[in-house]
Amino acid sequence: MKRVLRIGMLLPIVMLSACATNNATRAPDANLSKLKTFYVVRLPEDGRGIEKLIAARLTALGYQSASGDATKPAAPVDGIVTYQDRWMWDLTMYMIKLDIQIRDGTSGAILAKGEVMRPSLQRKSPEGMVEETLGVIFK
Amino acid sequence: MRTANRCLALASLIAGVTLTAGCATPATSVAMTATSATAVHQIGSDVSVAVSGGKETSSTGASQISDQAFAQALRDSIEKSGLFAKVSPSGARYKLTGFIGKVDQPLLGFSLTVKMEVSYTLVDTQSGTTLWTKDIASQYTAKTGEAFAAVKRLRLANEGAARENIQQAIAAMATLTL
Repeated sequence: MKRVLRIGMLLPIVMLSACATNNATRAPDANLSKLKTFYVVRLPEDGRGIEKLIAARLTALGYQSASGDATKPAAPVDGIVTYQDRWMWDLTMYMIKLDIQIRDGTSGAILAKGEVMRPSLQRKSPEGMVEETLGVIFK
Repeated sequence: MRTANRCLALASLIAGVTLTAGCATPATSVAMTATSATAVHQIGSDVSVAVSGGKETSSTGASQISDQAFAQALRDSIEKSGLFAKVSPSGARYKLTGFIGKVDQPLLGFSLTVKMEVSYTLVDTQSGTTLWTKDIASQYTAKTGEAFAAVKRLRLANEGAARENIQQAIAAMATLTL
């Protein structure tokens, strides 16, 4: 009986303590080094201002960037950035997953994408998630 | 006390089994293959297909769409539609590349909607000219009536979004005059 109890209690713990992952992929022939100016499109469902964090991080990386609600920037840019953030609750709300796509400023075609997934035990702040995701994309 | 222990053991075992029972399976090429309802204009040469940006499925993670499965579904869909004279493994007159740029999956939910975006490029390998490029977005919602297990529902949503995406790509390429 005790063995069943131990196994039963261990299984959920093993399942819920998954590892953090990050990865990025570029489209064939995509050259991100040509991109100097960016516009981050706010995800309509996002009320936490993640678009501003992405724009701020891009600026910190030395790019010229802006963000807004419009799907297209007012002035032409080299790259348009879109994202999807996923949140979970475990004592407090935390960002479990962030996906970012870098698109061609003219055609809107996706040039590169990156994603970071961090379960509760390896959680990071939204700023940390943005930094890690952009880090793997521009590596 | 003994009865309480038994109940606790049973509850924890059920919790463990519930969490581990649903191993994720990848999206299959067969389920992603589009069935073209209408005949399309045929391009009289062969084409080769290459896909990148997909992901492998780990049994403990979520169902994913791999490069191989999506490429195979794209090949099979093109063959079924009769869009090109033939699908060749390599060295074809035209080369179609697909970059899976986005697969937006929900973490939880009853009705699971997957949103997908693929950037397609068709190149004439003889001249090296890019003939067509298009970013296609698609989505599919798998409801509980389709599958009770969430892991299966997510796979069905992946497959539906991919199938719809390929369908749109073939319809768009069918309008090309090559």
